[in-house]
Amino acid sequence: MAATRRGPRPAPERLKRLLVMLPWLMERGEVSIAEMAEHFSLTPAEVVADLELASMCGLPPFVDELIDVFIDEGMVFTGVPRVFTRPLRLTAPEGFALLIAGRAAMAMPGAEPDGPLGRALDKLAATLGEDGVVVDFGRPALADEVAAAAVAGERMAITYWTPSRDEATEREITPRAVFADRGHWYVLADDHRSGSERSFRIDRILDARTTGEIDAPREVRLPDTERWFAGDSDIERVTVRMPTELTWMIERYPVDSLTANAKGATSTAVMPVLSEQWLERLLLRLGPRTTVLQPKRWEGLAARAAADVLAAYASVTRDS
Amino acid sequence: MGAISPVLPYDPSMAEPLERMTNLLALLLETKTPLTLQQIVGELTGQYPVNVAAMRGAFERDKSVLREIGVPIEQQVLAGNQAGQTAYRIDRRRYELADLELDEDERRALQLAVAAVRSDESWGREGLLKLGAGGERPSRSVAAMVPTFEALPPLREAVAAKATVAFAYREQQRELDPYGLLLRDGYWYVIGHDHRHDQVRTYRVDRIEGMVTVGAEGAFRRPDDFDIRTVFPSDPKLLGDAEREVTRAVVRIDAARAALVAGEVGDAAVLRRRDDGSIDVEVPCVNRDAFRSWLLGLTEHAVVISPDDLRAEVVAWLTAFTAGLR
Repeated sequence: MAATRRGPRPAPERLKRLLVMLPWLMERGEVSIAEMAEHFSLTPAEVVADLELASMCGLPPFVDELIDVFIDEGMVFTGVPRVFTRPLRLTAPEGFALLIAGRAAMAMPGAEPDGPLGRALDKLAATLGEDGVVVDFGRPALADEVAAAAVAGERMAITYWTPSRDEATEREITPRAVFADRGHWYVLADDHRSGSERSFRIDRILDARTTGEIDAPREVRLPDTERWFAGDSDIERVTVRMPTELTWMIERYPVDSLTANAKGATSTAVMPVLSEQWLERLLLRLGPRTTVLQPKRWEGLAARAAADVLAAYASVTRDS
Repeated sequence: MGAISPVLPYDPSMAEPLERMTNLLALLLETKTPLTLQQIVGELTGQYPVNVAAMRGAFERDKSVLREIGVPIEQQVLAGNQAGQTAYRIDRRRYELADLELDEDERRALQLAVAAVRSDESWGREGLLKLGAGGERPSRSVAAMVPTFEALPPLREAVAAKATVAFAYREQQRELDPYGLLLRDGYWYVIGHDHRHDQVRTYRVDRIEGMVTVGAEGAFRRPDDFDIRTVFPSDPKLLGDAEREVTRAVVRIDAARAALVAGEVGDAAVLRRRDDGSIDVEVPCVNRDAFRSWLLGLTEHAVVISPDDLRAEVVAWLTAFTAGLR
């Protein structure tokens, strides 16, 4: 990722980096340019340019350079530490991000509450202040088992429920990565039935057991946040009008547009439809005051679905 | 600070902004007494433009860049024979990173944690560099997406400092004593005592409009028994009025969904397993909207058995859909 960002670096960014680089360098006294470049995700040329700049800076009357630096044969040597001997304090966003990352990692499968991360978080909180931040991913019963299989590259035989087709299937997968997004845990896996990579929602895995087979590790790239299928223009859209106070129900789905109508009591949403069954469930939850505007063939969908559920109520009672 | 040095003609090649900012920073860190702009320009000979307006503009830009990257520049208005002039310095104790005394394995654990969190910002990586952890981005087989918003860092600081915050939300100005922040189901919530409503309220952070203003430290006390997890229950079916009694609903789940729902609610909530593969589960219900949303997500595979009034409510909801069918 570091190699993709190029072009002149803006001054604030260079300065920020310099203020971390100088104390780091002074503490070590002597280090290779290659190591510096790697540590700071810079090119060797950028490291040299920054060191040259630092060697030109100084306090009046310019006899004291900020840093006594000397480059020879790919090695950097520094003299007596001056002025910038400690890094700049953590900014509010940096402190926030470190604490949150720690808390999030503690809420993931495989976390050890008494391990080094817990101690690091205690030290961070002691400096940044007790903060009352709670990260709660929750997690389905099978998450730990699937995560362990992902670490080991162990194949699993699973029973998976696909809501859009409303069917349970048996498949063999090799879990590669487990991740949480928007309140659900997913496993990214090699799906041996389709021969391709697929994501499965872990709470929809009805049953899982390891087969004892181990697959060779491979590079995995997690999907980008949010955009799972929404960008796909082939997927059919539905336009619905709903009471504005119910729009929270669709917030966790991708929505092309959501506009409040005149007076604001109702809103109109355009959203991609995963499947007819999915839309049916959404409409039932949104209630009788929600109307499908487009396409016409789905106008009666909710009423038909409600009739099916009512039929179940007719046959299932306390005494049946 | 002695007499002001003779000002050399402004030479742009000599005064690359980055170099000048670094020198300004060093000067303000090293000075024993606060310096006025005039004194600063005198010390950094030839680095600022001679023209007063241009000089002031360049200094203001330098100062705002330094503040932007987190440098705590202090300013005060002088009295005496320099009355009215503003002077600047940086307190080294506030500038420097506190020594966290992290052991190598603790630093490594933090690095792994940052690698396991995916967000749109590079805040975590910047922080790691300051703590001495850089270079490789370890790959993780367990990760989580964590959304970030500009409002979150100031809110966290306000929670830690017990400072009242003000922000706009749904076009209304709110004042809140923030007790805590919670990430749940992909959303950030701030929970605290709302001044105007005089009660504990929950706000979604992504809906905060514009900036969060943080007031003075130590403005409130968090109740000793406050626990964000109980104030904001994990089960949405429990969300809502605390005074209202929790209804326990019994729902029959047919064989096609039995395993799925049993996994979700836990075996302890399964009251009965029937011969046809269906199960009866007991689930809490305070918030009717959330309960109905959960129930109808299961369509005809879930039927409310009891209590009667809840069952009647669901039937009425469904019947309203079918009114136009006949």
